[in-house]
Amino acid sequence: MSDQLKNAEEYTSGTSRRSFLKQSSLITAIALAPNAVVKAAEEGLDEKIAAAIEQMPLNVTINGVKQNLKIEPRVTLLDLLRERLQLTGTKKGCDHGQCGACTVHIDGQRVNSCLTLAVTTEGKQVTTIEGLAHGEELHPMQQAFLDHDGFQCGYCTPGQIMSAVCCIREGHADSPEEIREYMSGNICRCGAYSNIVDAIMDVKQGGKKV
Amino acid sequence: MKNIDAKTHVSGTSVYLDDIPLIQGTLYGAALGSPVAHGVLHQLQLEEALREPDVIRIFTAADIPGDNQIGGIIKDEPLLASDHVHFCGMPIAFVVARTREAARAAVKKIKADITPLPVITDPREAQAQNQLIMPPRTFSQGDTEQAWRECAHVFAGAVDINGQEHLYIETQGAYVVPQENNSLRVYSSTQGPTAVQRTVSTTLGQPMHRIEVVVTRLGGGFGGKEDQANTWAALCALAAWHLGKPVKYALHRMEDMAMTGKRHPYMADYKIGLDSSLNIIAYEVTFFQNAGAAADLSPGVLSRTLFHCTNSYYIPNVHATAWSCRTHLPPNTAFRGFGGPQGMFVIEAAIAHAARVLQIDAAVIQQKNLIKTGDEFPYGQIAQSEAGACWQKAATLYDATGWKQAVDAFNATHRLQKKGLAFMPVCFGISFTNTMMNHARSLVHVYTDGSVCISTGAVEMGQGVNTKILQVAAQIFSIRADRVKLNPTNTINIANTSPSAASATADLNGKATLMACNAILERLKEVAATALDTKADAVTIVNEQVLVNREPTGWDWQQLVSAAFTKRVSLSEHAHYATPEIHFDTVKEKGHPFAYHVYGTAILEVTVDCLRGIYKMDAVKVVHDFGSSMNPDIDRGQIEGGIVQGIGWMTMEEVIFDKEGRLRSNALSTYKVPDIYAVPEEIVIDALRSTADNLAIFRSKAVGEPPLMYGIGAWFALRNAILQFNPEADIPFITPMTPEKVLMALYSNKEKGIIQQHEATTSHLGIDQ
Repeated sequence: MSDQLKNAEEYTSGTSRRSFLKQSSLITAIALAPNAVVKAAEEGLDEKIAAAIEQMPLNVTINGVKQNLKIEPRVTLLDLLRERLQLTGTKKGCDHGQCGACTVHIDGQRVNSCLTLAVTTEGKQVTTIEGLAHGEELHPMQQAFLDHDGFQCGYCTPGQIMSAVCCIREGHADSPEEIREYMSGNICRCGAYSNIVDAIMDVKQGGKKV
Repeated sequence: MKNIDAKTHVSGTSVYLDDIPLIQGTLYGAALGSPVAHGVLHQLQLEEALREPDVIRIFTAADIPGDNQIGGIIKDEPLLASDHVHFCGMPIAFVVARTREAARAAVKKIKADITPLPVITDPREAQAQNQLIMPPRTFSQGDTEQAWRECAHVFAGAVDINGQEHLYIETQGAYVVPQENNSLRVYSSTQGPTAVQRTVSTTLGQPMHRIEVVVTRLGGGFGGKEDQANTWAALCALAAWHLGKPVKYALHRMEDMAMTGKRHPYMADYKIGLDSSLNIIAYEVTFFQNAGAAADLSPGVLSRTLFHCTNSYYIPNVHATAWSCRTHLPPNTAFRGFGGPQGMFVIEAAIAHAARVLQIDAAVIQQKNLIKTGDEFPYGQIAQSEAGACWQKAATLYDATGWKQAVDAFNATHRLQKKGLAFMPVCFGISFTNTMMNHARSLVHVYTDGSVCISTGAVEMGQGVNTKILQVAAQIFSIRADRVKLNPTNTINIANTSPSAASATADLNGKATLMACNAILERLKEVAATALDTKADAVTIVNEQVLVNREPTGWDWQQLVSAAFTKRVSLSEHAHYATPEIHFDTVKEKGHPFAYHVYGTAILEVTVDCLRGIYKMDAVKVVHDFGSSMNPDIDRGQIEGGIVQGIGWMTMEEVIFDKEGRLRSNALSTYKVPDIYAVPEEIVIDALRSTADNLAIFRSKAVGEPPLMYGIGAWFALRNAILQFNPEADIPFITPMTPEKVLMALYSNKEKGIIQQHEATTSHLGIDQ
């Protein structure tokens, strides 16, 4: 088990980097105020110092709302959205960029938010499934998924819809074959694929702005 | 009617376990899984892990106040390993910390001192060493010993069927919140709320009434959350109980894949005998089920393998034995079809074997032996068969003759591309095979404003069961659908539920809802009759209007409900439904276990690239016995999804454990599930509208599991295509038929013969050979 999770956990924990920061912050601090900081380190406060130094400012617009945040640089955009901003419409399926459930838009481009460090969105526009509709009026792609039953359990659906919008915007929805190619990064375990293709074709042919 | 969750699904507001807003002070858990598959656990070194920042406590078996036992059918599975470990990923310790990251980091710091013991991954080896979950079971009919003498042709061979990872996109998880008076509220991503309640109750040593289990919906289950959701709920409950704090654990995908059981791999030996007219007159089969390290649901899965070992065929002489073999893999569990698909694959393999040697189309044998109404299944139930009707309609509607000619013409003109065609008839029994589980309850409240809310034991996981239940209430009351709301599944509202499984959930909970609604309706009619000075049986409600002798009265639904309330008439009902007519004697292995059977026939076409071994699914065309579908949109989705999942199991999904019992296909990068490309280019579904009465809700037959087995045809279509390229090809009956296996078969050495010996069929072991 531990062997199998090694890669996943190295990715999420970032131990070595954190140790380096702790050490370097302590060395700097010791030069400035030896007694107080050495005492702090003895009391196990080094983690807190490291954490404080690791907080980075982030200014990002999410669903049209400007956010001024302080976050650790290791935080993914997915975790920022879900854990900090309670935007839980974006789903975590694999955390490895393999299922597409976490797809969001950054400056209009679709990305896997689990593979995107939140700090890289500085100054950018992020759109999630929660930001797609205009008030009560669903986005045409949301409406099409509803009309064509492009889901069963619904868990992959936000990612599918965000991906589908870009599939059209990119000009990759001219045929079912092309849609399959450009939607192949989004897994639906319930197998609602044919309805998903129908929904995207419907929006494309309807000609509404996406 | 649209799925009632459609709006929240597309707007991202549907709440799954990991989306539940957290209560302040919530702690996070993470489990340490055993790094070895079998061994003696001497001690755990926790000190270093406990020194990690933000770690609160680490729980081990010694902290369990009740029984360290989560086995449902057989008490053979501890929640946390205490002295032995039995599979890689078996939970040993549960870390609780202030953050999810801290909990996972601390898990890595725990050192487990384990002396390894020999590891068994092969069910035949387990059977030879008498490592069994339970004694073998045998279903028999007629006398095979006698029948072999009457056979003109007898064929025997072996089959090796791989498992399947559920890969619900929402991983397993639980969130437990302590309540006052020593109670716990358990949010769980489970198909079986009562199983979770019972497990938490057992492990904590607390009565069930202190444990409330709440399920809003699942992001996919497919059987994987029927019993295997219990572990995570019990671990969180253990920590919440000790700490008095809310505790949450949503598994990482790799934890989920490594620690949970899958569809059972099976090995089997078959012997099939036909007379000179191609009637199958004898069939013997021995199944070796790879149960994994604990029983879990394996006994139930095993029984369904036996029930479906003759698929849609009538065979007068059958002798089928099944062994549930204990190995050192994670305990395998329910997965859509529940052992039925494995049983069906073996009979299809036996028929394909016979057809190849006899140099005829397998479809000839298949069609000739379809079960007819009045024929007896090996378990004693008399068939009400639609098998022939489905086959005939499929053959006519999809022009099977012309289709075969087109395929033959293609193959005659293409040297490096070959097409294969296969028929796949399916017959699947509906009901839990364990008769005592076939019951359900529904609680219906009508509020004074005329709105209705319904609680049942059904768990919504994408199959649309809540939509169907809502339809039942709206139809019985004859009111607008938006007056009706379905509540989250909760063990406080509905007790002692059976899991949402066996395709029977809509039938059981729908029928209970129907009974509850009818009871309220009868009372409302009495109220109307009294007020309108008529008899109750003259009163009807149509489109929210109260009619007497079909004439409007000026009263509507809302007025009627208000009147009933003022007359102190109950507007609530809790109804209980138990499937009638079913029974089964497990000593004689005979009875009438199923409320009814679902039938269907699929015709599948594939094209194989004979240079590369890759292939595409050209078409799957189905005639499916819906009875009378109450929601064609949902049912069609279930069939399409089932086909895709079945094709995935048969072609690309390859579960690989090494000989040390470690999962090697442990992420989506190494385990391939059907993506949007894997869907057949053409899926056509036509309904066989049968008029015969049945026990389904509104005569709308269950549709969850049966379509998965149409996917089995993909394996045989591929086999037929390979044989077009290389008539001498050696194609052992091993699943899945990955492109690599197709390529090897295309250029296989004919000297090897048709059937590989078992010793050679170790492909499921993947690496390290």
